[in-house]
Amino acid sequence: MPDGVTADVVAPTELLGADAGSESVIVAARATTAPGEAPRRTLGPLFWISLGWMSLLVLLAVLAPVLPIKSPTYQDYTAVNIGPSVHHLLGTDDLGRDLLSRIIWGSRVSLTIGFASVALGLLVGGSLGLLAGLRGGFGDTVLNAGSFVLLAFPPLLAILVIEAFWGRSLWKLTVMFAFIAAPQLFRVVRATTLSFADREFVTAARTMGARTGRILRREILPNVLPAAVSFALLGVAIAIIVEGSLAFLGLSIQLPVASLGNIVNAGVQNDNLQLNPYIALWPALYIFLLLTSLNLMADRLRGRYDVREIKL
Amino acid sequence: MGRYIAKRLIQLVAITFILSIGVFMLVHLLPGDPTLAILGPNDTPTARHELLAQLGLNKSLPQQYWTWLTNVFSGNLGKSFLTGQTVANAVAVALPIDLELILFSQVMAIVVAVPLALLAARRPNRVLDRLATTTSFGMLSIPTFVVAVLLVLVFAVQFHAFPATGYVRFSTDPVQNVRSVILPSVALAFGSIAIYYRLLRADLIATMQEDYITMARSKGLSATYVLTRHALRPSSFTLLAGAGISIGSLFTGAFVVEVLFQLPGIGYQLVNAIFARDYLMVQGMALVAAVFYLVINFGVDFLLTVLDPRVRRA
Amino acid sequence: MPVADTSRYDRRTFLGRSASGAAAVALAGVAAPALLGACSSGSSTSTASGATPGVGTGTPRKGGTLTVGLNSEIDGFLPTTNHFDNSGLVYANTVYDSLTAIGADGTAQPYLAQSVTPNADMTVWTVTLRPGVVFHDGSPLTAAVVVANAKALQASPLTGPALSPIASVTATGPLTVQYTTTEPLVAFPYYLATQVGYVVAMAQLNAADASQHPIGTGPFVFGSWVPNDHFTATRNPHYWRSGRPYLDSITYKPIVQDQSRESTLRSGTIDLMVTRDPNAIAHLGSNPGFQQVTDANRQHGQNDVGFIYLNTQVDPLSDLTVRQALAYATDTAQIARLFGAGVLKPISSPYPEGSPYRAPDNGYPVYDLAKARSLVAQAAPRHGGAVKVELATIPDPRLLDVLQALQSMWGQAGVQATVNQIEQVTFISNLALGNFQAYTGDQFDAADPDENYVWWSPTNAAAPGSIALNFARNKDPQMEAALQKGRTNADPTVRAQAYQTVDMLLAQDLPYLWLTTTVWSMTGSQKVQNFDNPTLPSGQPAQGMEAGTFIPTEIWLEA
Repeated sequence: MPDGVTADVVAPTELLGADAGSESVIVAARATTAPGEAPRRTLGPLFWISLGWMSLLVLLAVLAPVLPIKSPTYQDYTAVNIGPSVHHLLGTDDLGRDLLSRIIWGSRVSLTIGFASVALGLLVGGSLGLLAGLRGGFGDTVLNAGSFVLLAFPPLLAILVIEAFWGRSLWKLTVMFAFIAAPQLFRVVRATTLSFADREFVTAARTMGARTGRILRREILPNVLPAAVSFALLGVAIAIIVEGSLAFLGLSIQLPVASLGNIVNAGVQNDNLQLNPYIALWPALYIFLLLTSLNLMADRLRGRYDVREIKL
Repeated sequence: MGRYIAKRLIQLVAITFILSIGVFMLVHLLPGDPTLAILGPNDTPTARHELLAQLGLNKSLPQQYWTWLTNVFSGNLGKSFLTGQTVANAVAVALPIDLELILFSQVMAIVVAVPLALLAARRPNRVLDRLATTTSFGMLSIPTFVVAVLLVLVFAVQFHAFPATGYVRFSTDPVQNVRSVILPSVALAFGSIAIYYRLLRADLIATMQEDYITMARSKGLSATYVLTRHALRPSSFTLLAGAGISIGSLFTGAFVVEVLFQLPGIGYQLVNAIFARDYLMVQGMALVAAVFYLVINFGVDFLLTVLDPRVRRA
Repeated sequence: MPVADTSRYDRRTFLGRSASGAAAVALAGVAAPALLGACSSGSSTSTASGATPGVGTGTPRKGGTLTVGLNSEIDGFLPTTNHFDNSGLVYANTVYDSLTAIGADGTAQPYLAQSVTPNADMTVWTVTLRPGVVFHDGSPLTAAVVVANAKALQASPLTGPALSPIASVTATGPLTVQYTTTEPLVAFPYYLATQVGYVVAMAQLNAADASQHPIGTGPFVFGSWVPNDHFTATRNPHYWRSGRPYLDSITYKPIVQDQSRESTLRSGTIDLMVTRDPNAIAHLGSNPGFQQVTDANRQHGQNDVGFIYLNTQVDPLSDLTVRQALAYATDTAQIARLFGAGVLKPISSPYPEGSPYRAPDNGYPVYDLAKARSLVAQAAPRHGGAVKVELATIPDPRLLDVLQALQSMWGQAGVQATVNQIEQVTFISNLALGNFQAYTGDQFDAADPDENYVWWSPTNAAAPGSIALNFARNKDPQMEAALQKGRTNADPTVRAQAYQTVDMLLAQDLPYLWLTTTVWSMTGSQKVQNFDNPTLPSGQPAQGMEAGTFIPTEIWLEA
């Protein structure tokens, strides 16, 4: 990722040989309850508030075409760089476009890229990681090395080539992001799976005659899924931020279609930071609120599903 | 131990080799070739043919790759088609920049994240924890380029405290060198602080639940003491793991900062080379970046295997 | 995000030169318009003392190091193989000298050459060199060196085409070089003021790394170059212009991002910078801590202008009605207001106000949305019911905004426009090959109007798929006639008429949609003196900064 720092640290188990650090990280990242407390059995009010807030954001994004908001592309040259006012609740940008509308429409793009790419990445990378972790052997070595090649590959080169041939529509961007997220999710899931595959309860299940498929479903998946999903949730936030960096490089969705990254980037260019800081401010705020609620949800999920025992 | 290192080395070489093929193919897939950048609109078919022959680009792709590979083994990474600068020279210019950026930014991030995490782990989910979480997420959600621009406007333009662009080598002037990397490092650190803080905090909390901690507490030792003396050390391996990953990827990930601060690091030079179809430069830079990424990852991996008692060898 | 900034193609960058007719611009000279003080390129803004910005007063002080921020990096210093954009010419002016230079009156005057004289019909030009000039490596400047340079330039695919009218170059004496041309080449002296006029030492020509180690006769001796980082040169103690240069050394730093460069100047790390970012020009123009000069009020010749190339040989833009509709739909005043920061002005002609070549009323379409709509309605049936245009630019945030505005304006008229960003190398290639519809352009800076012949002549308008320097591929026989008339006629009145015809034809044929002026500025801190007051060896003033290029010879630093 161009903004590689954040993206990669989210999936901290990209170490060859797996898993050297993964054990400690998985353990660490899983438990968030205070010392001396039993794992909470409820998700807590903050979880539901966050979920509610997230749902609202998603709803706004989905319903954008029918909401009573102004057009995100109409340029009103009599209302350029206006701050928040009656007619424009969040103000306008340097082309006279309503910022509230642009942010809502922009969230459609960013949320799609964020959620869909990570979901796709989880589906592909995650299932491969599960298989690799469980089966091991030659396939695992190949996939392992392959994930490393992909991770060490300069992402910008890949993006440039893909965009040169493929263009940059919303779905194509989503796939590109998924492509970048998949190896990282592969490693997380593989490491998590490995850390469970040797555990006593799995061995116990095996000795009792359970087949691989059943082990997968009953023992591995319930333990792996929460960890994977909580990483994935954070990955969504990261993807949205990285989209901003891509916008800076001119590689995100084509203007004048708004994405949160596009808007932030426009807010920093062309002297807008001094002329109209709102352009950069609102999307940053949106991302911040999104990030916080995603994290809260991930936290609670981990806290609730801190499972270490077998399920028979 | 020897077997472990040998195994890792083989993996490093294999991965690098596959990666180099991938980079070669991809960069040659891009439409256009260096003659565009060199000749511009004077890129007539005859001129182009001549130039391609001159540059050795009229041979078949496998031949070109083989030539490049054999050259690399004899220590010759080639030259830029555009400026004539040797790739080795460009790497020599770029490496210190990236190494310093990474060093400074990660140290800054750790220096901020560790005390915060310690404080938060003492009283999880209380005020300080929430505040720290909120702030660190605030920092994470501001894109790096925004942070960079703001830092420059405030600290360089307003207060003249640091330069707005440019890199001064340590050998030329140590003080100016430090001054020239501080702002870009802070911009890079922003993203890492939140991650390190969350990782360490979670690990500390988990560690605090371990039996030996409970025992230490039951002996009457204070929470702070236990936290710093007993919990921090094993928990810091998470930090190490996290740092290992982000450091490795920063080589190409710091591009945005390098452009804004005009630092000709690996990311900057790599992207420039891609745009100019400067094949040898692209291949050389990508190779160096990949090797560093893998070396750092393997190194951290190795350290963890040695240090963390909770870890099993794969 | 531009990592390299060469979005302009002017006569110097790509050397599309050919003969120019007027004696008014040849060395033979005709009365030139009155000069305006020392600064031939005009509008300057604030200074602390009230003195003219960029013009030093008092005795020049020797010493000091100047650090300059340039807007792009160069790929090398060899005139035969490297592109000299405005930054390249700055480097060239630092370590080399050109045989001629442009005076403040807009004419080409001898510089490194002592004289440049033609025969009666301008087919044989004799260049006499100054005696006693040495290169930085100690070798003397002789006719043989100049001939070697010329032959290398002719042999190079980059510069060869521009020199095709030169039939032969020979040394007729130790210090005399004779150029024989295939046709009367009245503007020959102008050639020698451009990329092909710089003379480099034999040692450099023969070196393996010729493009990285410049050895010239210039005011500064090359020190070191780290691409994308810095370039340094130190005073030439044996410079043939005695007493100069004043600086001990000069360092150039390419800082590609406009905002970053401005911040660097304001934070004090560099003392002088070049920019064409209207925001920076606006900020620094009113800042008393800096002296700024711009080329907005250039007295002679024409500046770069911002416009849109319309590919006249590609559907739907091959339809004149469509081009007219686009012109009527474009509110250039609004564009200037939104994106010009008060520095750029809307234009309807490539020639500036006051230029003899500008037609008093060239008939260029004035913004009229209703008219645009009706024209689109007329044209749409011919194009499958809807007029669709693809707009594109390089990754430049300001241009991207301009395109979005155009898309919206054209949309109001019923045109469906899309906006795209294309990386630089592909962008230039598409322009040259005609694989585009509507691209942004920034070009046509010229000391003499004939320099734009190559960009506007129908003879250079090959069909899309082949390289053509007339990117818009406008094939108008009347245009060729007018251009030839201007090129071959010495009479200034006839010339003026001819180019006014060109102006009107451009407004009629609409290969370009004019948008705004392009303004370059040179801004320095108060301690940088005399950065826009160059002189010719004769003592007469030379042309100051224009299009982002300057000569560093006579800059000095206050204590």
